[in-house]
Amino acid sequence: MLGRARPAYSFLRVLYGEGLVIGYGGDPVASKVDFSLSSGEILAVIGYNGSGKSTLVKSILGVTPLLGGRLRWDAGRPTTPVGYLGQLTDFDRRFPMRVIDLAATGGWSQLGFFEGAGRRARRNAEAALERVGLADAADMPLHQLSAGQLQRALFARTIMQDAQLIILDEPFAAVDQSTEADLMALILDWSRQGCALILVMHNLSAVLEHCSSVLLMGRGGAAFGPTHEVLIPEQLVGLGYMAADKPYLNATAASTSAAKVGKYV
Amino acid sequence: MFEFLEFAFMRKAIAAVIILSLGMAPVGCFLVLRRLSLAGEAMSHAAIPGIALAYAVAGLSVLSMTLGGLIAGLSVALASTLLSRLTLLREDASMATLYLLALAGGIFLLSVRGTAVNLESFLFGNVLSLSDGTLVLIGSSTTLTLLVIALILRPLVLQSVDPAFAQSQSQRGWLTRSLFMVLVVLNLIAGFRALGTLMAVGLMIVPATAARYWVNALTPMILLAFAFSAGSGLLGLLLSFWLDNVPSGPAIILVAGLVFFVSLAIGQNGLNLIRRFRAPD
Repeated sequence: MLGRARPAYSFLRVLYGEGLVIGYGGDPVASKVDFSLSSGEILAVIGYNGSGKSTLVKSILGVTPLLGGRLRWDAGRPTTPVGYLGQLTDFDRRFPMRVIDLAATGGWSQLGFFEGAGRRARRNAEAALERVGLADAADMPLHQLSAGQLQRALFARTIMQDAQLIILDEPFAAVDQSTEADLMALILDWSRQGCALILVMHNLSAVLEHCSSVLLMGRGGAAFGPTHEVLIPEQLVGLGYMAADKPYLNATAASTSAAKVGKYV
Repeated sequence: MFEFLEFAFMRKAIAAVIILSLGMAPVGCFLVLRRLSLAGEAMSHAAIPGIALAYAVAGLSVLSMTLGGLIAGLSVALASTLLSRLTLLREDASMATLYLLALAGGIFLLSVRGTAVNLESFLFGNVLSLSDGTLVLIGSSTTLTLLVIALILRPLVLQSVDPAFAQSQSQRGWLTRSLFMVLVVLNLIAGFRALGTLMAVGLMIVPATAARYWVNALTPMILLAFAFSAGSGLLGLLLSFWLDNVPSGPAIILVAGLVFFVSLAIGQNGLNLIRRFRAPD
């Protein structure tokens, strides 16, 4: 954390939502959702299973229409697609593709309609794989990858997207500790370069350590604010994230902030 | 040895299977990779009533029969997608029901209509008696297929690998999906006269499946599928030319089946038998 280089420009608000109502097919999953996100900031989205975290992500991506409220982009909706790494429920690992091909697909949206992916795209993809520690596996077919390697490859694809807003939906769900640490470092790099990030995750100690603000989604509403104001037992229990009889934080990493919150428990 | 080239019908047949293979290879590969192999089979049956109806109305016209088949095949695809969205049943169940009904209706129509068109040649095709109109249809279908595949290749790949990511990149996924389904039905109909309604889908699926056993990237898979498909077409034609009483359609698919079993046995993604016997551990 010490000596973290700030981006040369100041924090610009990228996106904010006011009174969002989200859901599928007219049935609201969550309502009264407010948040705002600035460049260089990491916003953590947490909430119990089914609280609408992924639906919120899809609404921001424009995949699922909003049922109410306003989503405002301060500098207009980005012209290039938002960087996105979703849950892998529908991912087909048997598709005939090598690791480097998968990484390269992230850069496709920047190619012109008739433009081929040339040598430069190939070099970029190699550099992205290098960054996520997969340089040696570039030619491996997808079906031979471990869960951790696949997630690294998908982060390389996200690097290739070169986006100003990056949304990661439970990126650490199936990976081991060292992979999580490597990928978290990459996320912090993105933030240092001025990217705005939305991170859906369950690891509260990582949220406390790395995220500047939190959107806690829960029953009957959502809480948004700086991490230390939102991640308090009253909110966590009140919004259904933790049971009232055992409100503990799974703070395995002994961060000072986690200890601070621990006092309230 | 090459005396078969002296016959115009053989030259036409050879041209037909090779050109057909050019379009069917990429479509078949994506059909297999998108887990739609059986949907392809269903679509080929679903197109029959359209063709039968067009025949009943307009006679033996390649254009009207193609249009009729396209409309019927796509309607069944669309209806089964809609039913799966609106009701509890999954897409495969509604598709199976609809295509069986369509197939029954088609055969019913063909039989009631009478004997002018031979039901057997319709079901099993006859690549050795292709009209010029059919050749033009096959050529147009392949040209259109290659053009459209080139245009939708990237979204098609993204959708097949990671649908959620593809959705985040473009809101026009439905267009890619629909165009692909049109290509499937178009290629099936182009293959009907040559291979028959029951065999046309075979030249799409079997070579593509066999190719997957050898390679781990899309481009080589499509090229290999084309080689397998054209090779089986050629060999199947020669078999039915050289041997008496060997029908061409089934011969072609059986040769493709042989390629499939060889690939299954020794391909690196198949059983890989040779390597296993060489290095037992």
